[in-house]
Amino acid sequence: MVNFEEIKQSFLSALDAATDMKQLQDVRVKFLGKKGHVSTLMQHMREIPNEEKKAYGQKVNALRTEVTEQLETAIKELEERLLQEKLEKETLDVSLPGRMFTQGGLHPIDRIITDIEDFFLGLGYEVREGYEVETDYFNFEALNLPKTHPARDMQDSFYISDETLLRTHTSPVQARVLNQADGKGPIKIICPGKVYRRDSDDATHSHQFTQIEGLVVDKNIHLSDLKGTLELLAKALFGDEREIRLRPSYFPFTEPSVEVDVSCFKCGGAGCNVCKQSGWIEILGAGMVHPNVLEMAGFDSKEYSGFAFGLGPDRIAMLTYGIEDIRHLYTNDLRFLEQFKYSEDRGVVHESL
Amino acid sequence: MRVSKEWLETFISVDADTETLAETITRGGIEVDDIIDYTKDIKNLVIGYVAHVKQHPEANKLKLCQVNTGDETVQIVCGAPNVKADSYVIVSKVGGRLPGGIKIKKAKLRGEESYGMICSLEEIGISEDFIPEEFKDGIFIFNEEQTPGTNALEALYLDDQVLEFDLTPNRKDALSMIGTAYEVRALFGGEVIEPKRDMTETDDISGISVKNEDSEAVPFYALRKVNNVKIMPSPVWMQHRLLKAGIRPINNVVDISNYVLLEFGQPLHIFDYDNLGSKEIVTRRAKKDEKMTTLDGKERTLLESDIVITNGKEPVALAGVMGGDFSEVTDNTTNVVIESALFEPVSIRKTSGRLNLRSEASSRFEKGVSHEFVLKALDRTAYLLETLAGGTVEKGIVSDGALDLTPTEIDTSVSFINNRLGLDLNADEITETLDKLGIDVKLDGDNIHAIIPSRRDDLKIPEDITEEVARIYGYDNLPSTLPVYSEITPGRLTDNQVKTRVIKKQLSSLGLSGAINYALTEESRVKEFTNASEGLKLKMPMSEIHSTLRTSLIPHLVDNVTYNMNRQRKSVSLYEMGKVFETHGQDKLPTEITKLAAVISGPQYHVEWLGASLSPDFYTLKGILESVFTRLSLKPHVTYERTTEYAELHPGRTAHVLLKGKVIGLIGELHPKYAKDHDLNQTTVFEVNLDEMYKETEGTIRYEQLPKYPQITRDIALEVNSEVTVQDIIDLIYKQNVKHLINVEPFDVYEGEHIEAGKKSVALHLTYLNKEETLTDEIVETLHAPIVDALLAEGFKIRA
Repeated sequence: MVNFEEIKQSFLSALDAATDMKQLQDVRVKFLGKKGHVSTLMQHMREIPNEEKKAYGQKVNALRTEVTEQLETAIKELEERLLQEKLEKETLDVSLPGRMFTQGGLHPIDRIITDIEDFFLGLGYEVREGYEVETDYFNFEALNLPKTHPARDMQDSFYISDETLLRTHTSPVQARVLNQADGKGPIKIICPGKVYRRDSDDATHSHQFTQIEGLVVDKNIHLSDLKGTLELLAKALFGDEREIRLRPSYFPFTEPSVEVDVSCFKCGGAGCNVCKQSGWIEILGAGMVHPNVLEMAGFDSKEYSGFAFGLGPDRIAMLTYGIEDIRHLYTNDLRFLEQFKYSEDRGVVHESL
Repeated sequence: MRVSKEWLETFISVDADTETLAETITRGGIEVDDIIDYTKDIKNLVIGYVAHVKQHPEANKLKLCQVNTGDETVQIVCGAPNVKADSYVIVSKVGGRLPGGIKIKKAKLRGEESYGMICSLEEIGISEDFIPEEFKDGIFIFNEEQTPGTNALEALYLDDQVLEFDLTPNRKDALSMIGTAYEVRALFGGEVIEPKRDMTETDDISGISVKNEDSEAVPFYALRKVNNVKIMPSPVWMQHRLLKAGIRPINNVVDISNYVLLEFGQPLHIFDYDNLGSKEIVTRRAKKDEKMTTLDGKERTLLESDIVITNGKEPVALAGVMGGDFSEVTDNTTNVVIESALFEPVSIRKTSGRLNLRSEASSRFEKGVSHEFVLKALDRTAYLLETLAGGTVEKGIVSDGALDLTPTEIDTSVSFINNRLGLDLNADEITETLDKLGIDVKLDGDNIHAIIPSRRDDLKIPEDITEEVARIYGYDNLPSTLPVYSEITPGRLTDNQVKTRVIKKQLSSLGLSGAINYALTEESRVKEFTNASEGLKLKMPMSEIHSTLRTSLIPHLVDNVTYNMNRQRKSVSLYEMGKVFETHGQDKLPTEITKLAAVISGPQYHVEWLGASLSPDFYTLKGILESVFTRLSLKPHVTYERTTEYAELHPGRTAHVLLKGKVIGLIGELHPKYAKDHDLNQTTVFEVNLDEMYKETEGTIRYEQLPKYPQITRDIALEVNSEVTVQDIIDLIYKQNVKHLINVEPFDVYEGEHIEAGKKSVALHLTYLNKEETLTDEIVETLHAPIVDALLAEGFKIRA
């Protein structure tokens, strides 16, 4: 007579003794393998009287099911435990730095130019570029600065020959665009770029710097349009609370000419070290395009008028970030450049300024 | 221009404090740069009368002075060599203060008590540069009787503030006291009083003649002769108004000409008549290489563009720039000739610029002086010589040429002014504003006929009138509007501008920082990293290191690496986008090429605790460059060809970058020698021509439906000669034009001990895909076989 209970007990103690997967597999072979204790039970069927065959069969099946289930459970538990152990072993120090995907700095001048470009793109302007080596004609004469003009003293230039020089401002782009326009508006452009003047490099002077020229020419363009445009720009660059004021000035290529101050973004106008106690910071020069400039480019200055402005991204970068020395902008010290890799929120002035 | 408020008030009464005056003038368009306050830090400064002086018993250089300071007479110890009895001096009393934080206390000097201090001009804050010679080494002594105890600053004309103007070139009208007065009138109202000039003419006539040989050079030239002048110091008011204006007092005659120059903005010259050498004054252009000695004792060689005043034979003055030596006013001068004239501005500017003789006079002549004041200034000078130098004025003015006094007339309109400004002023408001400026207006409906006084000859066109209206009306009163365009056009970047931004983002995301270097470089560097033999040179460079326009971005980027490495950086990665300049000769415009360059040095993407990094080698930077080409969808068109052309680059690790077969740049590791010269280890650079890259337009993205069928890969391992490049093999494979071959990728390259010398092993994956149906092994075999044949035919050995 087959002792089912004995087999079961023997299985249970074997299962209990098994501590790794190999032993569990051995248990499986020993009981459920072809020649296993459970599998061979069916071979005894012949010896079983017919009337008991059914009951016997059921018993064998029940035993097989139980053994199988218990075995599977044990395997699963072991697998679970092994995984757990493995995961524990794999635990990292999450505080260690990640693999480095270095991020480069965006040059502060590039940042400022991009911001200003985006502002004017939003107002329907195009971005135009020009030559850095210019003819005397486009750099001066087409801008109402004939060779004898005393204002040429204002900008000491790097001449290459009598008729060519490194442009002293981005205004020649204005002259060239006007010339190409065939006497028809509207023109709405800004022109960022490098410019050059005979200055000795020090904390506040650089023989090379950048400028952004702006030009609008159409019928019925007023000085008040310039004021409105620059007011929006000042708010975009320095915060919504900023105001601007225009002061009369002189540029040969504009008439009237103005200098534009923005209320100090640090003290709000009360007077501080940034605005030299005046409450105002000069940020750009502007004016209504001089009729001579329009006429020389083939525009009828009775029908068309326009405004132009020029601002210095270097200066705006220095003001915005409190950069103390313009030479930092051209030294390419990574300790400097890498400070400019972050995204920014507009109009929030740092305490450090 | 420095404007003394006290002096200004002799021209126009100003009902405003200095701050308000300065602010209003600034807002009106003349920037007041600085306010110099002569009363600052001064307290208890009075006039003292020195009654007695005796030697200090204990000190050689000190004197004991009994000084009446008004309510008392006190002893003051003084060390000045020029202190003397019976003189009026400046005294800082006990309890007084002087600039520099000096407090005056009762003191004992070598046993003698001292109740205050007798002051020099320097001690009360006057710059040494402007102190008259006689007071340079001692105390100031009044040359006229004074009341002891009264405010010394007032008596010295120093109870005053001076506005320093930063004038724009168009506002030459404010280069004079009277011009400033007219500006103040426009801003504050009131009336301008002209200085007195009613001299008494004698009947004497010396018979001097004037002739202008070149009326373009000298349109008008006028003289007056004044006899019997006595050279002496000018009065305190004149001396001190001059020094406040930044001019050092010399003697009465010189001071008068400077004083009138400041009053009217008209430069004058005074000759010693007896040393002129003739009675004929002839003005003309100088002769080529003509020589003259100017009053500073220097011999000058002249050009035909210079204008000279001659005595008919030789130059006696370089017109508008400097007098000649022998006709100069000296202490012995008695009879003088005053010149007041117009000279051609451009000549004056050229002459003074060439000879480096910029002066108060030349700077006014080169901007053009106001015709209105030429004769007034002449008369005023004569008047002052009469009253302050005891001179007698000869009858009449001798002159040649025409003084055009017709005012400029400008036609404009109310609507034009309003249109340009964006205002809605009526005719009366405009007339009133212009009237404040002394501009007469005739109105005819909308039309404005403006008559401009000659002192404002900078006003020429309707837009100038617009500006005057705007600045007097006030820019603060201008509304803020936005333009209304005749046609709506969108604002957007061009494709190239977008690509520029894409590249910058791409490179910064890969860890490279954006650099901006100077475009000017050293001449010797234009040959580095280029085939250029020459660069475009500046005519007059400021320094050798910034003398020539760059021909490559790389040299400065390499310098940047060295700079950073010298500051404890372990790795550097930088890019720059900018122009290089290809010269076509010094007098022609160069070709400006926009380039992109990058440099890497030191371990890249370095994680120290993992010991992981990429070396700054050719392949790392090539990967970075390829990522740019990928973004611009140019990668399939780009190839690399090894080059040994550049001495600065490693001959085995440098390639030209080709776009559709055209060289557009280079990439390579620095030559070890070049690197060493720049204190660098392994460093790799590239530079590519962006203009060429932007020329290749790829249009929009061509979307393809995702393949439904799997791809099949075949690997080939080849043994080839070492000099065969992987590109050569890939090109050969593609040349077979095999259908469905979509990619060839090297996966192993080996050269070394397990392979014959001069050979290398290259293993490639070839990927096949049929987008229409499943590829079977049999079909791939038929596609692949011709490739294998071609490789064998090339002499390559297939490795097992």
